[in-house]
Amino acid sequence: MNATPILQLRTISKRFGNIQALDHVDFDLREGETHALVGENGAGKSTLMRILSGVYTEYDGEFLLDGKPVHLHSPHDALGLGIGMIHQELSVMPELSVAENLFLGRQLTTRWGTIDWKKMYNTAEQELARLGFEHLDVRQPLGKYALGTQQVVEVLRTIVSGARVIIMDEPTSALSPAEVERLIQLIDKLREDKRSIIYISHFLEEVVRVADRITVLRDGQKVATLDAAETNTSHLISLILGREVNATLPPAVTSADGHILLEVNNLTSDVFDDVSFKVNKGEVLGIYGAIGAGHFDLARALFGMYRFDSGDITVDGHRFKPKHSARYAIQHGLAYAIESRRKSLLMDEAIYRNVTLPHLNRIGSLAPRQSQELKLAAPAIQMVNVQPPDPLNPVGALSGGNQQKVAIARWLTFPPKVLVMSEPTRGMDVGAKSEVLSILRKFRNDGYGVLVVSSEPETILTVSDRVIVMSHGRVVAHMENKDLNKDVLMRLL
Amino acid sequence: MTTQTEKNPEIAVSPSKPLISGVWMRRITALAPVWTLLALALFFSLTSQTFLRPVNLNNILSQISTLAIFATGMTFVLLTGEIDLSIAAVAALTGMISAYLFANLKVQEPIPLLVALGTGTLMGFLSGIASTRFRIPTFMATLAMSLIAGGLTTYLSKGRTISQLPEVAVFLGSGRIGGANGFRVLVIVAAVSLLIGYLVLKYTRFGRYVYMTGASKPAARLAGVNTNIILTAVLTISGFFAGLAGVVSTGRLGSALPDAIPSFLIDTIGAVVLGGTSLSGGRGGMVQTLIGLLIYGTLRNGLDNIPSIDPLLKDVITGIVLFVALVINVLLAGRAPRDKTA
Repeated sequence: MNATPILQLRTISKRFGNIQALDHVDFDLREGETHALVGENGAGKSTLMRILSGVYTEYDGEFLLDGKPVHLHSPHDALGLGIGMIHQELSVMPELSVAENLFLGRQLTTRWGTIDWKKMYNTAEQELARLGFEHLDVRQPLGKYALGTQQVVEVLRTIVSGARVIIMDEPTSALSPAEVERLIQLIDKLREDKRSIIYISHFLEEVVRVADRITVLRDGQKVATLDAAETNTSHLISLILGREVNATLPPAVTSADGHILLEVNNLTSDVFDDVSFKVNKGEVLGIYGAIGAGHFDLARALFGMYRFDSGDITVDGHRFKPKHSARYAIQHGLAYAIESRRKSLLMDEAIYRNVTLPHLNRIGSLAPRQSQELKLAAPAIQMVNVQPPDPLNPVGALSGGNQQKVAIARWLTFPPKVLVMSEPTRGMDVGAKSEVLSILRKFRNDGYGVLVVSSEPETILTVSDRVIVMSHGRVVAHMENKDLNKDVLMRLL
Repeated sequence: MTTQTEKNPEIAVSPSKPLISGVWMRRITALAPVWTLLALALFFSLTSQTFLRPVNLNNILSQISTLAIFATGMTFVLLTGEIDLSIAAVAALTGMISAYLFANLKVQEPIPLLVALGTGTLMGFLSGIASTRFRIPTFMATLAMSLIAGGLTTYLSKGRTISQLPEVAVFLGSGRIGGANGFRVLVIVAAVSLLIGYLVLKYTRFGRYVYMTGASKPAARLAGVNTNIILTAVLTISGFFAGLAGVVSTGRLGSALPDAIPSFLIDTIGAVVLGGTSLSGGRGGMVQTLIGLLIYGTLRNGLDNIPSIDPLLKDVITGIVLFVALVINVLLAGRAPRDKTA
C-alpha cells in the first residue's frame, strides 16, 4: 500500500455559533484504503464529511490533495477533483436504464450531439465487468433491481465519473444482510482498483470488517485512528463513548404480561421482515433501530401508509386492517404522530384547530363554534404546556418542541388506546425533549399504551419500559429497559 | 445521560425567523385583491364617464352573476388544491338537457331543471370517484369528463341550438323581480350561491375539512379526515353549481347552445384565483371569490367603457392582469412561513 496519503486534513476546526463542531481534527486517506469514520450523532462526522465534499467552504485548517493544498468551493468542485459522495438516500432514477444511471448527467454523445447509445451500453458493460458486476443488464431499467443493486450502481456511477475518493454515508442502513455482503464485495473490488473510500457507519461490526483503518470522533475531536485489524467492536464503543462500557446483553424478554392493547404478529413487507410485538396497557414500548432499519415504515404500516404483505394486527382484542385514511385507526383506538411534524400538523392553522381536528365529529353539531372548540382544546393545550400558550397562534410559529406538544395534545382530549409516535424528540433542545418525553410517560401512567419509534438511543432509553431493537428490517433483540444502556443498543445495531 | 443531538450544528444554529414580518406579510397578502379592486374602480371612474352610473354598476353585477355560480363550486375545488376543468362543458350539457327535455320531449317543469342539476352533480361525482378511487389526477379526470360532457351535448343537440326554453330557466336567467326595471333574479341566484358556499365553508365541519385537506393532505389524513370523501364531495359540489350555471345561462342567452363556452372555465378560475384563493389549496374562501369576481367584472366592464381602447385588445389586457395577479399569488405563497422545523 502506498504510504503517501492522497488526501490529508490537518487541524480542521469548524464552529457553528458557540458550538465547536470540529476541534483540530486530523484525518488522512491513503490510496486504495477504506478508512471508516465512527462516532455518535453530533460527534462531527457529518461536518467533516461536508467539508470533504465541498458543502462547507469555511473552516480553519489545511486540506491537502496529493500533498497540495486545495480549497473546495462547492460539491461540484469536489467531484472535479475526484471526490465523490454517496448519500444515505439513493439518488438514482429507477425509470432509467442501468447504463443511463451510470452516465447520469454526462451521457456519451455522438458528434451530432445525440446520445450515443451503443457506446454508452458498451462502456457500461465494460465497467461493470471490470468490477465484477457483469450479471447486470445495462439496458434494463434500474428500478427492476433490488435496493442493494441500485446502491451498487450509484457507487459505480461515481467511479465511472472518475472519482478516486468515495465518501459513503451509512451505505448499508437500508440494505438486507445479503445486499450488505454484495456491497462489501464491491468495496474489496474498489480497493484492488486503487480507489479510496471514506466509510461512515453506525454498524461497528461491519466497520471492523470493511475498513483498513478507523478514526473515532467524539464531541468534535479526534479520539484515535486505529488499524481495523487491531480493534474490535467493544473497544470501538468505549472509544466512541469515552468510558468503560458494559455491553453485556440483558436477558431477552419473550412475552409481556398484562392487558394487551396492540399486538402485531409476523408483519412482513419489503423493508421489514417477520416483526412481532405487543404493547400493554400502561406501558411504553420503544422500537429502536438505525435510520433505514425499517422501523419507521413499520409504524406507517399500522396506519395504511406503507403496504405490508403478510402478518396481522390486533388492537385491544379486535382484528385491525389498516385503511387509507387514519380515521379507521382512530376509531379503533390507534393514533399516530409521524416523524415529520409538517406531515402531522397543519402549520398555517391555529393551535386549537390542530388539536380539535380529529374530534370535530364529537362536538356533535354540524357547525363547530370557536368557543366550543377552544373549550375542548384548552385543557389539553394547558396540560402539555405549549409556549406561548395562545391557542389562536398558528402552529408554524411555534418552536419544534412546542409543535410536538401540539401533536400530542391533540390525542389527550379523547385519548386513543395506543399512541404511536415516530421520532418524538427530533431536533429539540434538552428541555423540550424531556418535557415531551414526560408528557408521554404521563400518558402511559394514565393507563394508555405508547409505541415510540426512534433512532435516537437517548429517547428510547428515557421513555421506554421495554425495548425492541431492529436491524436491517428484523427484530434482533427484545429487552426490559431497566436492563439496558446505550452500550448495548450500539452493540446490537 | 448526555444528549448528543444538542451538539448537532444543523439544529443548533438554525435561527428562528422573526414572526412579525410573516404575520404582516400575510395581512398584506390577504388584502392585496381589495387594493386591486379599489385601484381598478378608481381608475375607471376617472377615465370613463359612464362607468359609475347605476345602470352600469348593475350591468357589472349581472355580467358576473353566471360566473359567480361557477365560482362558488370552483372555490371548493381549488381550496382542496385540486382543479375542475369540466365546468364549462358540464354547463353546456345541463343547459342543453333542460332545453331538450322541455322542447323535444315535452317534459313538464320542473323536471327538466332537476334532471339538469342531477346530471351536473353526477358528472362531478364521477370525476371525484375517478380521481380518488383510481388515482387519476383531477386535472386529467375532469378534462376527460369535459370531453364526455361536450360529446353528449353535441349528440343530444345534433349541433342545433334550441330556443324553446323551460320557464324556470328563463326566469332564473333573465327574469326580474318588481317589474321591467326590477332586480335581476340571476343576481339573486348568484348571491345565494355565494352565501351558501360562504356559510358551508366557514361554519361547518365539512368546510373545515375542505381547508385542512387543501393545507396538507397527509396531515388531514393522519388526523382522521377522509380526504377521499372530501375530494369527491368538492367535485360533486362543483358539478352541481356548473349544472345550475348551465341552466341559468340558457335562460340568460335565450337559447341552449350546442357548444360549450370555453371562456366560462378560464374566467371562473381566473376570478377565483384573482380573489386570493390559492391554487395549491388551503387558503382563500368565498369572500375572496366575491372580490375576485368584482375585480374581473370591473376590469371587463371598465375596458368596455373606455371608448379609446380597442375592444379587440380587451382579452389581452385581461390576460395580462390575470397573469400579474397569478405571479403575485405564487410569489407571496412561496414567501409565507409554513414550517420552521424544515
